[in-house]
Amino acid sequence: MAQKPPTQPDDGHVAVSIDGHETRVPKGTLVLDAAAGLGIHIPIYCAHPKMEPVAVCRMCLVHIERFPKPQPACATVVADGMAVTTDSAEVTKIREGMLEFLLLNHPLDCPVCDRGGECDLQDFTFRYGPSVSRFPITEKVHFNKAVPLSEHIELDQERCILCWRCVRYYDEITGEKEIVLEQRGVQTLVTTFNEQPLRSSFQGNLPEVCPVGALTHRQYRFVSRPWDLQRTAGVCPECSYGCNLNVDSRDFEIRRFASRDNPLVEDMWLCDRGRYSFPKWNSTERVRRPAVRPRAGRARDTAVGEAIAAAANELRAVIDAHSPSAIGVMGSAESTNEELFLLQRLARDVIGTRNIDHQLGSFDGITSEEHALGIAEIEECDALVVLGVEPEEEAPVLTLRLFKAQHKRGRRVHRVARDADPAGVVKAMGATTLTGVIADETNREHAVLVATALARKGAVRRMTVTRGVNGRGAKDLGVLPNVLPGYRAAPPGGKNGREILEAAAAGAIHALLITGPNAALERAGELLDRALQRAESVIVVETRPGKVASAATVLIPGHAIFEKLGTVTNIEGRVQRVRPALPPAAQTPSDTRVLAALAAELGAKGWERSDPMSVNRALREAVPAYAEAGSGGRALWTAERVA
Amino acid sequence: MTLGPETRAEIERARGRYPRAQSAILPALWAVQHEVGHLTPDAMTEVASLLEVTPSEVEAVSTFYSMYFQRPHGRHEVLVCINVSCALRGADGIVDHLTRTLGCESGSTTADGEFTWSSTVECLGACGGAPAMQLDHRFEENLTPDRVDAILARARNGTSAGAKRSVRQRRDR
Ligand code: SF4
Ligand code: SF4
Ligand code: FES
Repeated sequence: MAQKPPTQPDDGHVAVSIDGHETRVPKGTLVLDAAAGLGIHIPIYCAHPKMEPVAVCRMCLVHIERFPKPQPACATVVADGMAVTTDSAEVTKIREGMLEFLLLNHPLDCPVCDRGGECDLQDFTFRYGPSVSRFPITEKVHFNKAVPLSEHIELDQERCILCWRCVRYYDEITGEKEIVLEQRGVQTLVTTFNEQPLRSSFQGNLPEVCPVGALTHRQYRFVSRPWDLQRTAGVCPECSYGCNLNVDSRDFEIRRFASRDNPLVEDMWLCDRGRYSFPKWNSTERVRRPAVRPRAGRARDTAVGEAIAAAANELRAVIDAHSPSAIGVMGSAESTNEELFLLQRLARDVIGTRNIDHQLGSFDGITSEEHALGIAEIEECDALVVLGVEPEEEAPVLTLRLFKAQHKRGRRVHRVARDADPAGVVKAMGATTLTGVIADETNREHAVLVATALARKGAVRRMTVTRGVNGRGAKDLGVLPNVLPGYRAAPPGGKNGREILEAAAAGAIHALLITGPNAALERAGELLDRALQRAESVIVVETRPGKVASAATVLIPGHAIFEKLGTVTNIEGRVQRVRPALPPAAQTPSDTRVLAALAAELGAKGWERSDPMSVNRALREAVPAYAEAGSGGRALWTAERVA
Repeated sequence: MTLGPETRAEIERARGRYPRAQSAILPALWAVQHEVGHLTPDAMTEVASLLEVTPSEVEAVSTFYSMYFQRPHGRHEVLVCINVSCALRGADGIVDHLTRTLGCESGSTTADGEFTWSSTVECLGACGGAPAMQLDHRFEENLTPDRVDAILARARNGTSAGAKRSVRQRRDR
């Protein structure tokens, strides 16, 4: 029997022995986690790292010395001197018994189950289960199969092992409580109230919390076995929240997005908009070949080198005939930091124009302060003010972090109108030491008023929800007329996106250099049409065919976000890496190489090292906050205001 | 559909009795069942909004307990215990007798709509009087086929004084 060492000072840790291995773990650690720390696997079904223990499945039963009966490792907290056994004949027998019970009415349809190959029931049965069952397969209780719970989720009631995870997910993580277990005993089944379809915006997490093939993605039905998928760590491209995910592809197509737990960002939960957005990246509607289509002359497909040379000629012609400021440069919030960094260098240092932006509206007086609040820090604020519905509509997973702050951490969350009276907000708040103010980027001015009013009561940190997967990077790196990389003030006189288009439409700007895809640009509608028509030269690096690509006088295929290496910056300044999960659809060099080649054609020196990693190195040298962020950390700015 | 004011008041009272609203789901459902006869989705939604819980939570509770009815039932309700004590004292015979005389299986309703009966309700807690059953939530004990016939006849003639029945009559008026 392990004896408590009498002289051990209390350092908040306790000594525990598991299968004879001694370890010290912090007080309050679960036996399950202490075992995991020693590399000892204990099978679990109901336990989940993001949920409270309930100990309903009894799969994790272990023997603990001096306890008369086996104890659930998922709900038992270690005590000093505790001696746990997981490898005895007794525990083996318990596991075999539990698995035999779980399979009692299970349909055993692994061959046609989407979960086969990554199913805890299958895996644990192989590892810990009995090889035969004493229960005849002909006498099973049957339930409904292939029940659509919504457009996203399919339920197989027979495969459910009643672990309650789906119910607890809706209870503890989203608070929507859409799924329940009904009936009882052998008749218990998973369902929804009155069989109504699920309405949550976070349904796609259900198949991932389900340990078996009871809840599955309809979009992934009969699509693949896990071992045929190639997994690439990526970042969700649907909004600027920057949720980490795994890109699972097969035969050069993305087959699903799966969660990749980053506790600091999405905390393992994705929204349905993001998770189910992948089919568009498999689209074959792509710009594939470089083309030169002079306004006066014959349009033709060409080699990329020739297209770059033609682009340089056109730009030079405009500079010679007019001036560098007759050129407008539009970056994209869907580009990588490396591309954006090169683009603004190209615009400012090589071409010599101040007209550069990545969106339409101005960001007057943009400061780093509006990006001070980190995602995980939301939980540390004693009160949070969310202005309007836009922040959560734009970045849905934010809702789950707010829910966690409110329900797990007891923080106050005030959802107020977009233009709520600042004095009223202050009054409603009561006393706070740290308040988080979350607003949409279209509501920046009002967020300043609210934050200023609140600052009289205590510290305030702001979060601004930017648009586009790398909208934040575009701002940090000065793809804006008024700021240089790092929010340093840019020389005055630069035009913003709308002004660039207006000037082009009016004939004052003669050449446009556009890197796409750019959703903000497309919102300019008819103004964009006029600008594209009127400009003498429209140089486009673009992935998707469309208005902008068709208007190009020089068109160069771009690489989509899942085809390239680089970094993108999320809403809180976290610099995260993207990696190629698919081969590029275009047989042209990467966008950074194209931009560098264009600079070189224009006579710039020192642009030779243009692969994404070299550019990343140059970027880190130029922007210290990005050097400190590294890969996966946050770029934090000192508060300097831009004139 | 809307619940009657008395039922709503009863639910509000139940709500006040517990620290957590969930705890009031059981008495609230009784109130609904006594008024409506069974638990409709509309009624459960209404209970949910009165108690500020989700309809799914109400439904989960209502299906867990076999004495809440999800479907319309006969005018009278007969629950027969077949657990150990009753089984030892002849519950099987009572079940057979009911199946024959009522002409339908456990869990269903007689053709004339008079009786819904069930033998899957688990122990009624009346072991001392086994075999036992409930007619409209009133205990009938020491059953024999003859006694069962007499009880059913009394109910048919309207001389049973079950709580549920009186509620029903009030509503029917
Ligand atoms: S559906 Fe899946 S998650 Fe839900 S209780 Fe059943 S096995 Fe658990
Ligand atoms: S919140 Fe944004 S980044 Fe996260 S999964 Fe949803 S769309 Fe993607
Ligand atoms: S995992 Fe411990 S009881 Fe389910």
